[in-house]
Amino acid sequence: MTRTIGIMSEAPTSAPPSRRKLSTKPHSVADRVFYGLARSAAYGAIVIVGLILVFLLMRSSSTFAEQGVGFVFGSEWSTAGKKPVLQIGPMLWGSMLVAIIGVIFAVPMSIATAYFIEFMAPKRIAKIATVIVDLLAAIPSIVVGLWGVMVFTPVAGHWAELLNGGLGWIPIFGSSTHNFQGTPFTAGWIVAVMIVPIITSVAREIFSQMDRDLINACLALGGSKSSSLFQVILPTASGGIVGGVLLGLGRALGETVAIFFVLNLSFDINWGAILENKGGSVASLILSKFGEATPAEIGGLMAAGLVLFVITLLVNWVAAIIVNLAQPWRR
Amino acid sequence: MTNDAKNLSDENATVNPATLAAPLEMGALPRPAVEPWKVPNPTRTTKVALASTIPGLLAIALTLLFSIDPAVAMILLFLPLQIIASIWAGRNIYGKKGQSDALLVIFTVFFSTFVGVLLVSLIWSVVVQGLKAMSWQFISQNNIYITPTTSLEYGGVGHAVLGTLMMVGLSTLVTVPLGIMVAVYLTETREKPRGAVRTLVQAMSGLPSVVAGLFVYSALIVGLGLGYAGWLGSLALIPLMLPTVARVAEESLRLVPQELRNGALALGAPAYRAFLQVTLPAARSGLITAMILGVARVIGETAPLILTVNNTNSTTVDISQPMAALPTYIFQFIANSYDTSVQRAWGAALVVLILVTVLFTLARLVSRTNVTAKKPSKKRK
Repeated sequence: MTRTIGIMSEAPTSAPPSRRKLSTKPHSVADRVFYGLARSAAYGAIVIVGLILVFLLMRSSSTFAEQGVGFVFGSEWSTAGKKPVLQIGPMLWGSMLVAIIGVIFAVPMSIATAYFIEFMAPKRIAKIATVIVDLLAAIPSIVVGLWGVMVFTPVAGHWAELLNGGLGWIPIFGSSTHNFQGTPFTAGWIVAVMIVPIITSVAREIFSQMDRDLINACLALGGSKSSSLFQVILPTASGGIVGGVLLGLGRALGETVAIFFVLNLSFDINWGAILENKGGSVASLILSKFGEATPAEIGGLMAAGLVLFVITLLVNWVAAIIVNLAQPWRR
Repeated sequence: MTNDAKNLSDENATVNPATLAAPLEMGALPRPAVEPWKVPNPTRTTKVALASTIPGLLAIALTLLFSIDPAVAMILLFLPLQIIASIWAGRNIYGKKGQSDALLVIFTVFFSTFVGVLLVSLIWSVVVQGLKAMSWQFISQNNIYITPTTSLEYGGVGHAVLGTLMMVGLSTLVTVPLGIMVAVYLTETREKPRGAVRTLVQAMSGLPSVVAGLFVYSALIVGLGLGYAGWLGSLALIPLMLPTVARVAEESLRLVPQELRNGALALGAPAYRAFLQVTLPAARSGLITAMILGVARVIGETAPLILTVNNTNSTTVDISQPMAALPTYIFQFIANSYDTSVQRAWGAALVVLILVTVLFTLARLVSRTNVTAKKPSKKRK
């Protein structure tokens, strides 16, 4: 360094010295070990996901080979014949149906709750509500399932009966058996209870980080509270909210035990009659068939798990990307 | 503002010294003795009070009078009445603008109350039903010789509590260092794949729990021919716990001011010592919070344990054998629909809920007493 300055001052016309190479690479052994550990942990996380995919694929490849495309789209599950027919179409569609119903119920409730906590409630109430919402996100699904089957199912059954009585002429509210236990409607509500805290906390986080000047500017220009919500807050926060909803959707698709208790699984596909007491759920199918499965069925269940995993991974991947884009302050 | 005022007054000074005082006085405008927005407005208060009570009372009266179903009355009677009343009040007080605001308030309060009622109902039923089964012997005894119809005075969840603590403890031992190192990778290094790793870890948080169980089952029980065992359950919990730990740890490491790290590095500390002696102590409580939240995430996981552990009724501390756990205990007793067995399930659910709540309270206490505690939302820019 000093030498460089010396040369510069003595002979300013000579060629400029070569630039010193700046490097941020760790140079001591201990640092390399430290960063190596961190890197291997990070790659370890990737490896775990990879291993899950590889092992499920290994165990289910024979099922995929035997059943073909019918595995995903067909609707029959029988091990009686010489060659078992394993198809999960109704379960896959049922998982999606329940998740969609849950999201439809959960989205308005979550956004309203987040708006209430962030913009309407007094500080103290808002603080308590935030804690409660975060706590509820951690309530185990088995507890929600217990509540669902013991307390909520009769209530939801009553609502379903009323809906069917009033709007039964619309196909989706129709019911051929008038048995309102174990319907996708009930399962959708249970899923909604589980994902409301997730969507609420994402939406609340985004609302709380919003630039208040934008909202104040809208109000100062003569906007009302509602126009500031619909024309300023929601458009600004939409990316994050969509991401939060997708996170909730991912959780809803993979929900296992809670749905296991409140939904009546049926291989007779239910396209959208949400008050019919037959539905499907891949995760619950795995749980219910697992105990007394034949080896061939185990392969089928592995394949079902693989399909479920790929779908939820995709949904969550997209959700994570959207949430990250919508929260630049987290970078 | 002050600058502008000064410029203005300087300009004025050169033109006409007499007006000098005027702009300065503007800043010192006396505060009104009575603040207009705080003046009580009895008509307005009455209107708001009327609009928020009459529809409810009317709906209740009509419901009782004609014995309408409460759910129907709520949607078809109370909500429309309330909307009409609020629109009337809003329009009357604030003009046209008040109309849409009234609707907004109605829907926000309606939906949030609905969420509140659902969630309170959930917690309330667990607490009330669970307390019926709760006693010291319920927490301490195990499940040997207990049938679904055995009276609640015998047997309990002691073995399941022990099993849960051991299995979750074992996964915590593995997952917390792993998760913290992932967080270190995301915050302390500047490597390219960070974005991808962060996205993947977030995507992992949606991993269906039953798939985690299937993975361990297919890899170790079918693949290697191992028997059901407690440590396999711990293994299945790791991928479920990792995303939570990594994300919370990342956030708490990020809250440590960059100047602290730079200071340590400028003093000549190698990166690992800067981390161990400066960053880690500063983020300590955040990392503890990460651990606690991770534990809370997996403590009630059921499906992975059903697929990998197999329930037992006796107390065991040998993790190479099948073990009981609280979630599987609940699962086992919901399946029998006898009253006593359902009571046992409620009791165990209350124990789980208490464990989760205690963990959450701990997490909040830890993260409150500390520099890295989350600051109230700062304004961006």
